[in-house]
Amino acid sequence: MFKYSYDALVYYGEDISTSIDRVARYGYDAIELVGEPDAFDGSAIKRMVGDAGIGVSSICSIFTGAERDFTNKSAANRQKALDYTNRVADFAAASGAPIIIVAPSPVGKMAPESDPDQEWAWAVEGIQKAADYAASQNVRLCIEAWNRYETHFLNRIPQCIELMNDVGRPNVGVMGDTFHMNIDDPDIAGAVRNAGAAMIHIHFADSNRAAPGQGHTDFRPVMQALKEVGYEGHITFELLPAGSDPFATLRRGGGREFYDEYTRQAIAVIKQIEATL
Amino acid sequence: MKFGASTFIWASPFSNKTLELIDRAKAFGFDIIEICVEDPSTIDTAAIKPRLEQAGIASTVCGAFGPDRDLSSDDEAIRENGIAYVQRCADIAADLGADIVVGPMYSAVGRTRMAEPAERDAQRRLAAASIRRAADYAAERGVRLGIEPLNRFETDLVNTVDQALVLLDEIGRANVGLLLDTFHMNIEEKDIPAALRRAKGRIFEFHACSSDRGTPGEDHLPWAEIVRALKETDYRDAVVIEAFTPEIKEIARAVSIWRPLAESQNALARNGLDFLKRAFA
Repeated sequence: MFKYSYDALVYYGEDISTSIDRVARYGYDAIELVGEPDAFDGSAIKRMVGDAGIGVSSICSIFTGAERDFTNKSAANRQKALDYTNRVADFAAASGAPIIIVAPSPVGKMAPESDPDQEWAWAVEGIQKAADYAASQNVRLCIEAWNRYETHFLNRIPQCIELMNDVGRPNVGVMGDTFHMNIDDPDIAGAVRNAGAAMIHIHFADSNRAAPGQGHTDFRPVMQALKEVGYEGHITFELLPAGSDPFATLRRGGGREFYDEYTRQAIAVIKQIEATL
Repeated sequence: MKFGASTFIWASPFSNKTLELIDRAKAFGFDIIEICVEDPSTIDTAAIKPRLEQAGIASTVCGAFGPDRDLSSDDEAIRENGIAYVQRCADIAADLGADIVVGPMYSAVGRTRMAEPAERDAQRRLAAASIRRAADYAAERGVRLGIEPLNRFETDLVNTVDQALVLLDEIGRANVGLLLDTFHMNIEEKDIPAALRRAKGRIFEFHACSSDRGTPGEDHLPWAEIVRALKETDYRDAVVIEAFTPEIKEIARAVSIWRPLAESQNALARNGLDFLKRAFA
């Protein structure tokens, strides 16, 4: 039996209690929270999800801009990236989330600004420090790759595994996201199988980033691979409207289907597949 | 089916320094070479034409659309520059004996400002008016235009076959159809074979690219279903491999390719062609 979670990222601007109620109502085991520690009270959320009978699977950290860039040429900015990640770890501990997502280079940074080997070394060093702090909070880190249009740094699961190995900390793993993998990993199920126990978190979205069933990704072999490697994490749906900036659509009130309709559909479609494995 | 190779696999921009690619594509077994026109001033048709004839290979022409060639720009001077560029590409095609110019000629690649629906309609009308003029010019030279939908990260105007069909109807010219590329379709189409069937009779060119723009066949696309659907539409034109060399930084950055996607660009072309010939057999 897989556990299921829905990423509140797409419930843009919504009160968190409404989001928690919706996710619980449609049968999820947990919710993924947006990693903005200043916007939320972790211990209050822990009570709310407890009352709703669910948990917090994970924190979707938001790596945007120079001050959340572990590979930034400025040591002060790299320190700010570490400080941010540590605050997300505190938020995770307070809300009861066992895992936070980490991306070493921010979304939209499309070229290295320093020597690529140096950027890699900074990423390793920063994630090591973040991992050591997170370990003190009993929180694990998962390294995420994004597709080629969102970052130049990590696009594929094997790259995440290489970084994870260089970091060399027991509380650091990798995660997959089937939307990004549809573009950059030519064999999604194969990548899951090769990652094995290193894959501690996964995002599901269909090929067009809508709910499973809205695109053409074949989730069956992916779920078969997760089952074979003994995946124990949550299958977390991170769905977003089509567009280079999905939040532009949400800001003007578009993407309403991502609230009730896709929250209901995502788990229903995937549980149907799970029943046939 | 005739199989083609884009010069983008190896070079950017194409010029007299890279004429050897014509012989290479022929030696690899391609029937067509797609000449990519980033800068018309580097395209010397007087040198290319005899080289094509000598090698015994046909050609198609592909345009590149940056912000200064935006056929739906709010700035009339930029639109005019875009129209003149497509017309120049049509001249090049006619000079080479090619019958088609392809590309995302409705906007500038990278223009993804997430326009409001009404704004988008206005932009599509500008695109249609511009393309109509370019199409009439091309028609006088026996050249067709193939319009290419791009994925969401490259344009916000035409991402899907259905959106492209709306644009085609608005243009309303018989010599304008679609160029469909499986790399983009993989991201945007709910069902690639179904989208191909909906475009029956309107597909003027097909780009057979892998889901990661590496080697066709070494990916997760449902090739058997794609080939079946394309055949059902009675498609008989070019099946072209488009990929980009990571060795030339400018073009690699323009298309967001940050690592080699095959052992070599030659291997990509050779193995991709082998796969496609089997898939379409």
